[in-house]
Amino acid sequence: MIMRDSFSEYHPAVNFVFFVGAIGCGVVFQHPAYLAVSVAASLLYYLTLGRKKAAKAILWMLVVVVCLAAVNPIFNTRGAHVLFSLFGRPYTQEALVYGVALSGVFLTMFLWFGCYNYVLTGDKFTSLFGNLIPSISLLLVMVLRMVPAFIKKTKQIIGARMSIGKGEDDKLREGMTVLGTLVSWALEGSIVTADSMRARGYGTAKRQSFLIYRMRKRDWWLLLTEAVLLAAVIAGACLGQANAVYLPAMGVAPLSWGAILYGIYVFIPLLINLKEAIVWHISRSGI
Amino acid sequence: MKKSTIATLLVFFILIPVTLYLGLKLPGRGYYLTCTLIILEMLLPFFWVFEGRRPQARELVVIAVMCAIAIVSRVAIPIPHFKPTFAIIMLAGIAFGPEAGFMIGAITAFGSNFFAGQGAFTPWQMMAYGAGGLLAGFLAQKGWLSKKPVWLAVFGFFASVFWVGLLLDVCSVFLMPIGYTWEAVAAVFVSGFPANLMQGLCSVIVMLLFSRPLLEKLDRIKLKYNMMGADDGI
Repeated sequence: MIMRDSFSEYHPAVNFVFFVGAIGCGVVFQHPAYLAVSVAASLLYYLTLGRKKAAKAILWMLVVVVCLAAVNPIFNTRGAHVLFSLFGRPYTQEALVYGVALSGVFLTMFLWFGCYNYVLTGDKFTSLFGNLIPSISLLLVMVLRMVPAFIKKTKQIIGARMSIGKGEDDKLREGMTVLGTLVSWALEGSIVTADSMRARGYGTAKRQSFLIYRMRKRDWWLLLTEAVLLAAVIAGACLGQANAVYLPAMGVAPLSWGAILYGIYVFIPLLINLKEAIVWHISRSGI
Repeated sequence: MKKSTIATLLVFFILIPVTLYLGLKLPGRGYYLTCTLIILEMLLPFFWVFEGRRPQARELVVIAVMCAIAIVSRVAIPIPHFKPTFAIIMLAGIAFGPEAGFMIGAITAFGSNFFAGQGAFTPWQMMAYGAGGLLAGFLAQKGWLSKKPVWLAVFGFFASVFWVGLLLDVCSVFLMPIGYTWEAVAAVFVSGFPANLMQGLCSVIVMLLFSRPLLEKLDRIKLKYNMMGADDGI
């Protein structure tokens, strides 16, 4: 069965707002409950998006994170409960827990960015900001198109040089020659492109863009849900629900509605995928 | 006063202090957010100036080409921390002026992360790469930078290690999950130094072998099509 990510099919603005909220909150909140839901949601979502590749990446990340958590007390010697001494410096329980929390922040940040890279592709970004920064997004679209074209051209240049017997010795100089050839070709081509753009009226009027993404009813609803949840979570945090101090002594705010709302917020993409899967299952079993 | 000047002043005297003030109130790792936001805000004026100028099609496409070449050189060479990207950005800055140099650097960082993956480091990378192009362009515009390959190599080395590399290390300091003690910060800088050195070496090689042909090509395009002339300043 091919599973699609239904959250990616929503309007890019909905996706973008979600990631801004998730990453922004993810790096600010150090409360264990907030951290746990954020790590869990980002981990699961990253796995559903990336599958095997993601699982491999996560394994590596976990290794790094465990090392970072263990290393933190070496640099940070504050804390009341000394577990043991290392190189004559105390290795404290509080610093270790703090290290775990910091690694959690690090992990969730990387996982959310990993998800972002799957969901918000270049075309979505430029369609989102195309009206706000027209020249720069045009620049970006051109760059993203040119890179694969240039790589292809580089291979052609290398092939052509091989066929006349060049390129075997002195790899460095050869590389520079290939790069130089690419630059010449690309710059001449760029002038043709630019003149062609001008001939078609670039810069004579405000540029319009073809919008492939439209805000539909469900997009508005999800955007509203995100905004309300985020506002509630921030309000809760202002009331001190997300407070957590690790050093020099542990002090963690009790569990509250803010953490639950935050949990719902970070699980939005997974909940949507779940809903789609259930709907799909029901409608298929009806046939 | 120009609109872009007002915008820049607003950013530096209102937006950044407000961000700092609110950032101090954030609990925990709030400074992740604060420092990244400030870097983003510092990028804004450059983009505003660029947008406000309504760049010509030729300028736009040539900048895009230089970005794409810098990205290809970053993606194509499989040795980590040994990328001709810095040197290409600096040479583009020398040929096309500081402002174009900054744009090329920033867009290269942003664009290449569409292939390598975006992260919290993206704005820092944009800033650092852009600053490399800006510095090279500025020095060349003032006539303080000789275009002889040997001098460019010396400049490339120091700019890669102590300017772009250092800025990227500051990013690591801010984004690493470490407690803030002097030892930890020093550890980050020390561990980043070999990578910076490698990068500096790569810039030296590229500048020695490639600066003359590339600058010749860029100058020829400029002369042939009469674009991005001397009045294109910041």
